[in-house]
Amino acid sequence: MVRFRKHTLSNGLRVLVHSDQTTPMAAVNVLYDVGARDEDPERTGFAHLFEHLMFEGSLHIPRFDYYLQHAGGENNAFTTNDITNYYLTLPAQNLETAFWLESDRMVGLAFSEAKLNTQKNVVTEEYRQSYLNQPYGDAWLLLRPLAYEVHPYRWSTIGKNIGHIQNASLQEVQDFFTTFYHPANAILAVAGNVDPENVFALAEKWFGDITAGNRYVRQLPAEPPQQQEKRLAAERDVPQHQIYMAFHACGRTHPDFHATDLLSDILSNGESARLPAKLVHDQKVFSEINAYVTGNLDPGLLVITGKPHHGVHIDDAEDMLWKEAHDLAVNATDKRELQKVKNRVEATHTFSESNVLAKAMNLAYYELQGDASLYNQQMEAYARVTDEDLLRVAASTFRKENASVLHYQTQRQP
Amino acid sequence: MTNRKHPPPKQLVTQIPYIKPRAAELDNGLPVYFIEGGTEEFVKVEMVFFAGSYHQTRPLVSYTTTNLLRNGTKNNSREEVNEQLDYYSAHLQLEAQKDIVSVSVYVLNKHLEPALKLFSDIIRLPVFPEEEMRSFLKNQQQIHLINQKKVQHVARTYFNELVYGEQHPYGYRLKPDDFDRVVQADLQQFHRRWFYPGNAFCIVSGRMPYMIEKRIGKYFGDRNWQGAETGEPPRYPMLTSGSRKVHLEMPEALQSAIRIGKQLFNRTHPAFHRLKVTNALLGGYFGSRLMQNVRQDKGYTYGIGSNIVSLLRNGYFFIATQVGSDVSKAALDEIYNDLKELRHKPAGKDELESLKNYLAGSFLRSFDGPFAQSERFKELLVFGLDFGHYDEYMNTLKNITAEDIMECAGLYLNEEEMMEVVAGK
Repeated sequence: MVRFRKHTLSNGLRVLVHSDQTTPMAAVNVLYDVGARDEDPERTGFAHLFEHLMFEGSLHIPRFDYYLQHAGGENNAFTTNDITNYYLTLPAQNLETAFWLESDRMVGLAFSEAKLNTQKNVVTEEYRQSYLNQPYGDAWLLLRPLAYEVHPYRWSTIGKNIGHIQNASLQEVQDFFTTFYHPANAILAVAGNVDPENVFALAEKWFGDITAGNRYVRQLPAEPPQQQEKRLAAERDVPQHQIYMAFHACGRTHPDFHATDLLSDILSNGESARLPAKLVHDQKVFSEINAYVTGNLDPGLLVITGKPHHGVHIDDAEDMLWKEAHDLAVNATDKRELQKVKNRVEATHTFSESNVLAKAMNLAYYELQGDASLYNQQMEAYARVTDEDLLRVAASTFRKENASVLHYQTQRQP
Repeated sequence: MTNRKHPPPKQLVTQIPYIKPRAAELDNGLPVYFIEGGTEEFVKVEMVFFAGSYHQTRPLVSYTTTNLLRNGTKNNSREEVNEQLDYYSAHLQLEAQKDIVSVSVYVLNKHLEPALKLFSDIIRLPVFPEEEMRSFLKNQQQIHLINQKKVQHVARTYFNELVYGEQHPYGYRLKPDDFDRVVQADLQQFHRRWFYPGNAFCIVSGRMPYMIEKRIGKYFGDRNWQGAETGEPPRYPMLTSGSRKVHLEMPEALQSAIRIGKQLFNRTHPAFHRLKVTNALLGGYFGSRLMQNVRQDKGYTYGIGSNIVSLLRNGYFFIATQVGSDVSKAALDEIYNDLKELRHKPAGKDELESLKNYLAGSFLRSFDGPFAQSERFKELLVFGLDFGHYDEYMNTLKNITAEDIMECAGLYLNEEEMMEVVAGK
């Protein structure tokens, strides 16, 4: 249970505080409600490029990292399809430095053509390092547009192609800031050895005078229900085939989300889960196997993926994955197995509560979903899932017409 | 109006709130340390054995022994072990390193009893079934083959071989057929020889449940648990040759992985703390010279960093990055130039102050909570040090000057003595 207090500034900034006196540190998390899903289809990768620019100096502070390091702090950020999230930790006595830094880059950035060009290069290298120059690195670049035809989840945070990044102009960067980077579109969460009243006072002092922007109204095209199975085969220079099966599922705030997540846990969370126990350890068909939900805010995917051994035909391997998925839709999960995955969820949740940064991030993320207290309700929501829920959700999820299947294959020798 | 031009006042980190562990010794001599702290009702129990790859006589034996601990015990099959671990949501971590093996479990206090029973069996009574071993090694062989397509992996393994030589366990580079050579008896012997109380210690950290010491004693204090054989691990000659460069052509690569560095020493050396600060200035954090130059100024890479690695019998320094293949020559020039400047260009007042404050904050962070504290304490135990070692580091941070750093760079980080590996183009 993470106790917290909340206060909203007059410009719309939501502020959350959790006090933990056992740590000498403080964690500050600033979440901006903008992700790759909000990008123009012809300007993809922009939210992530922008994340890089947020470290290149703001109106009054030329070097973000320098001053943070000066106060003993450390920071990073990430961009997903849904959000852009900035976080830092520092000795709690220097908390105000974090407010100074984070507020100034909400007031305005010091853009320049030179900084933009350097970060375009850095992001291009990131694209090469993480997606192109890694075995299986481009699988999601293939899988997304296969699974999604209309919704912007059809592209990755890095973008559809790197040309979009390389063509970005300074004016577009400026416009992006105006649209998305303002108090009403942000959530500030602080956790650690802090006094809530002091945090609210600091929030008022540093963020209170930032002009309230126009609240961004999201209007994204919904992905229509899939009508038939979609398949794609790609050949790459990899030593082993990999199968990816993506099923449309509900979004994170949907009542069936927890059942969907538990289905993926029954399949692969832990060595005793069905896929590793049967197909890796017993039958030795796969060398690696996994199942997970993407957990997006809009309807996401449940993904099953695995690397079959040499000598196993990729179609036979796929059939075995289907068999396990179908079984969940037909036969009720026994009590102990359901309790087992719920126990694991409980432990994972409790472990995460021992870390101030994780607590700050989660408070902000659940506040975005409507209310930070949802974070404390997660375990109950998982505990409520019944075997009937699992059968029903499995039956609606694991259907051919709901599947996008990618065979990522080893190159045939010429 | 709020004054945004000037940073708010700040206080330096001068003290680290160590949690001094409570020490105990079980009936069979196993030392156990308790580190109390945290907010949630769970603990970590970690067993450390001096049984790393340094102790093995055949490649992969330490790694395979460690990873197969969970694949069946005298009391339970692999299926039963895994089912119970998962049911009691006991998060098991198996780490085989160069000098030590660490086997740890995170578990909610309410599941502690069954989890400890299982954990004890895993450590003391594994059976290493032949078929499980073959299957594990076959899967690892596949991962090994995939890794050979990753430039950073290839660069790392060749670099270690250059620094320590192909005969030394710190430098040995795995070959695909090593995965076919391990036999069941290797694992049984290795386990008998190195996994016993006289070669181990245990750290328990977190919110201590009722009678924790007695419960640890019940599962790990058995007097009959003794090593079958004793003795020193084999000794290997340490390679000490001058600078060498290896360029590995990987025609498909879009990026080249660069690794530059040299053999040095470990944390017991008198210059270790100074070297740590010197390394940080060069490439140990985002504000470092390498990061600012090669990424932030030139845009050649997504990331670059340097580090010093402390092994029980030695240590080394390295710089690592991945850069666009078209700029790998230019990036190399920048790296060598930054290395050279480390000797000649004193850190400015701001640069040095920022570095010191950052390192002090980072050090404080590395002690945040009982699990982080247990990591730091483990480090001391492995190297036979005490908390004075960390006090010395804080003193070094306080007193080190720009001249000290240049001197340290001159003594230990001369660019002409570096090994260099480039994998890619």
